[in-house]
Amino acid sequence: MKENIKFEQIYYNNYNKVVRICMGYVKGNEPLAQDLAQEVFVKVWEGLERFKGESKISTWIYRITVNTCLLELRKKKYTSNKNIEDQAEIYEVDSHAQKESQLNQLHRCIQHLSVDKKALIVLEMEDIPQKEISVILGLSHEVVRTRIHRIKNELKTCILNGTL
Amino acid sequence: MELFENLKNDWQNQSTQIPTDDGIKIISNKIKALKSKQRITNIVLLATVAILVFFFFYVAAYTQSTATWGLILMILPLLVRVIIELLSIKKLDKLNKGIDFKSFKIKLESYYKSRKQVHFVLTPVVFAVYVIGFIMLLPNFKQALSSGFYNYILVSSVVIILLLAFFIIKEIKKELLFLNELK
Repeated sequence: MKENIKFEQIYYNNYNKVVRICMGYVKGNEPLAQDLAQEVFVKVWEGLERFKGESKISTWIYRITVNTCLLELRKKKYTSNKNIEDQAEIYEVDSHAQKESQLNQLHRCIQHLSVDKKALIVLEMEDIPQKEISVILGLSHEVVRTRIHRIKNELKTCILNGTL
Repeated sequence: MELFENLKNDWQNQSTQIPTDDGIKIISNKIKALKSKQRITNIVLLATVAILVFFFFYVAAYTQSTATWGLILMILPLLVRVIIELLSIKKLDKLNKGIDFKSFKIKLESYYKSRKQVHFVLTPVVFAVYVIGFIMLLPNFKQALSSGFYNYILVSSVVIILLLAFFIIKEIKKELLFLNELK
């Protein structure tokens, strides 16, 4: 019973962030991200008893999230060979929503990053402190800081020019 | 970096769905389904091994004909391959997802490297033995069936084997591509 309450709290507190991190792996497709988030919480439930509190609970959940999403990449190919710029134009004509279009473009650009960079940037977008990101990913704080800076520049070029 | 800060804001406003009690129910059902799936997998594995052992002793004790050996060569490697596939899926499911991303990636890489051995050594052997088994059965088919039906079996089997080879290669390529992404 105690475990159930603990799990419910974890679920309510982290659901949104987990879904958004997953969206970063599936080109912003919300229903797919929700399915993935479910898988994440199944693993959280299964591992909750064994969680000894060596790290913050959120750190542990985000680890499960990025690792589960990484595994998902093997099932389906979310990257496409289509030119990123072409896709953005198609989308812009359809939606007329500049903001959404840029966000969509960001999702597409993220798909073209390596798995390491992808994990880094989705956590950064969630505003997770860089120190925590370093624990989630098993990298030093310094490496996280430099890499995030580099990825931001890459993504900026991608969003503005349509190429990485 | 203003663009990025704006994007970050938009990103965080993307999914603002409120998690519901239904979500928890779905997760709880999924856990139950997973447990029963694991139980079924174990039963299938055990049953397969039992059938294999029984079949092997039965054939070894009572028959020696080419047709039976042909059948054994077709069934045995396939069953071995299925068992290895099920164990492989189990191994992947059991990987601890709560470790840091870097360590998880290393574990995943080593898992897919071991899969490479299965794909490039075991699968071709299984495939070759299967085809040999089928060829061993052909004289019996020719003897027992009409020429029309015999030709039908011959042609359809070649098509099936080619299709099988195509799908196996496609799946192997997919796994190798993922392994490349991990590096």
